[in-house]
Amino acid sequence: MGRIKALVIKEFRQIRRTRAYLGLIFVAPFVQLIVMGSAITNEVKDIPLIVVDGDHSPASREIINRFSALSLFDFRGVADSTVRADRLFDRGEIKAALVIPRGFERDMGRGLSPQIQVLIDGVDGNSAGVSLGYITSMAGEIQKGWIGSRATGAGAEIVPRFYYNPGLESKLNFVPGLIGILLFMITSMLTAINIVREKELGTLEQLMATPLGGIRLIVGKIIPFTVLGLVQFSVGLIAARLVFGIPVAGNLLLLYFMALLFIMSTLGLGIFISTVTSTQQQAMFVAWFSMIFALLLSGFFVPVGNMPPLVQKITLLNPLRYFMSVLREIYLKGTPFRYLLPEAAAMGGMGIGLITAATLRFHRRLE
Amino acid sequence: MCNSRGEVVLEARNFSRSYGEVKAVREVSFSVLRGEIFGLIGPDGGGKTTLLRSLVSLLSIEKGELFFEGRSVAREPELVRRRIGYMPQRFSLYQDLTVEENLRFFGDLFDVDRKEAEGRIEELYGFSGLKPFSRRRAGALSGGMKQKLALSCMLVHSPRVIVLDEPTFGVDPVSRSEFWQILFRLREGGTTILVSTAYMDEAGLCDRVGLMYGGRILASDAPELLNSRFPRDLYGIRTGQPHLVLDALEESRLCGDCHLFGEGVHLTLEENRSPGEVEACLRERNLGWTFFGPVKPGIEDLFLLLMKGEGHGD
Repeated sequence: MGRIKALVIKEFRQIRRTRAYLGLIFVAPFVQLIVMGSAITNEVKDIPLIVVDGDHSPASREIINRFSALSLFDFRGVADSTVRADRLFDRGEIKAALVIPRGFERDMGRGLSPQIQVLIDGVDGNSAGVSLGYITSMAGEIQKGWIGSRATGAGAEIVPRFYYNPGLESKLNFVPGLIGILLFMITSMLTAINIVREKELGTLEQLMATPLGGIRLIVGKIIPFTVLGLVQFSVGLIAARLVFGIPVAGNLLLLYFMALLFIMSTLGLGIFISTVTSTQQQAMFVAWFSMIFALLLSGFFVPVGNMPPLVQKITLLNPLRYFMSVLREIYLKGTPFRYLLPEAAAMGGMGIGLITAATLRFHRRLE
Repeated sequence: MCNSRGEVVLEARNFSRSYGEVKAVREVSFSVLRGEIFGLIGPDGGGKTTLLRSLVSLLSIEKGELFFEGRSVAREPELVRRRIGYMPQRFSLYQDLTVEENLRFFGDLFDVDRKEAEGRIEELYGFSGLKPFSRRRAGALSGGMKQKLALSCMLVHSPRVIVLDEPTFGVDPVSRSEFWQILFRLREGGTTILVSTAYMDEAGLCDRVGLMYGGRILASDAPELLNSRFPRDLYGIRTGQPHLVLDALEESRLCGDCHLFGEGVHLTLEENRSPGEVEACLRERNLGWTFFGPVKPGIEDLFLLLMKGEGHGD
């Protein structure tokens, strides 16, 4: 025990004397959350739009009026032909166009169902989908007004109410996720770099030649970086509260417990990386690569359920995937532990597995 | 010192170690006796580091056997790690810790009692003269002081055997000589020291040396005795144009072996050749010299001779 304690004390001394660490722990969460939390959003606003009016009727004018009055759209005027709309699309000036065909009002009067064409810039699929949704519901509302004035059709009305995130605010989804990503970064990358640095300096060789031994060495590294991770996690929680006013809906103790399980797996990864690399640059590259990988397959940007089946299976190996959903569950829904057991088991299992693998590799002496 | 019949502390028996295809150490056998300074001398890439790392249990043992105080290093690595002080090639210190923090840390790693460590550290300050810098960060020390600190760190647990891998590499001559003074004092206190170096001039400071090249120990004995092993008469030429003289001699085929040595050339004669023929040869080419005559062979001469033998043998 005394030897582990000596190593832990030494680590904390070094951490305290490295300014970069302090910045990473106390400043990075605030900066990241403010910048990323505000920048990353699924919400689509101010969609630049024109209407191609081929009908020039009271009905088409009403449509134009309604769309131009709405702040969701940035109404850019009326065009006479789709040729002009195409040109505006090409120049990137508009993202959507409504095409009202000639004879629209007449056909409507005759009881036919005339069609309105919607043209959308589909480069950003997500925004395109959201824009289409807005336009369809807007058109539906206009139509309802017309039907209402002529007939009293008793259609069923759908009134949505969104649970856990009533305003469908992106930040509620992204901010907890960001805290998880920061935690992944600091624990896996710093651990890997820290150990490889000792390799480069030659101090690791010296440590291995003492009675400290591989297992004690790893425990002595795990303890300080776990503490570091938890401190940074707390700073993240505070930042989320102060900057975005997002409180934790669920049990705080449970959240910390889950964070601890998650840290086990990321520390294991970090230590493992340190056993397969020999310079700090290499360690940095491998850590970055695994982080990007973990990030993309975590469900942070794209829900795991939307991924192809094979990729979904790969995500099962990603500790961040579990922690991402745990964070959102506890943060937004206040989900109790019994529903999070599979995630806890997966993260814990992966942590034990990775740390064991790393220890075994470490134990094979210097090669 | 005469340790020829002393107790064997470290021993290698037919030890070999390779990295993939590269044979770093080939069938090495040697032993280090209690209380002596044993020097492993040879150029870089000769296998010194591999041999030392294996002896302190850092590498797995493939072929042959290594012993520490009669016990197998392979079977009892823990014992080796507790009892031997090992200083790797690059002095391994924590640059961001102070001198005292470094010393205490290594004391703690070896479970040295705090009180005991305190006394030991004072004693080591006496050795190294680091006392005035005890609160300075190791990174801010000069090269020579860093090296003394690294040595001190591995002495906190008072090991009776220490293994040093090129401890004087890249250190200024004054610090080098101070470092050797410390080693002598340790030897007086009964410490057994195994040290590797690429500096031939440090051979004379050891009680016994092993000349290591190409993964083999080519010869091993007390430095004075090694010198007398030189099999032929050695001549030295001091000249202002050593390169030209060397070229001329190599062309003349008068010499069994000749090589540059400091400000001149060292050579042995081919059988049935006389020194007069060498002089004649040089005169013929208008090459002058300030001295020509027999000289006492040094370790370097023996080493170069053995290295060539090794080259032919392979």
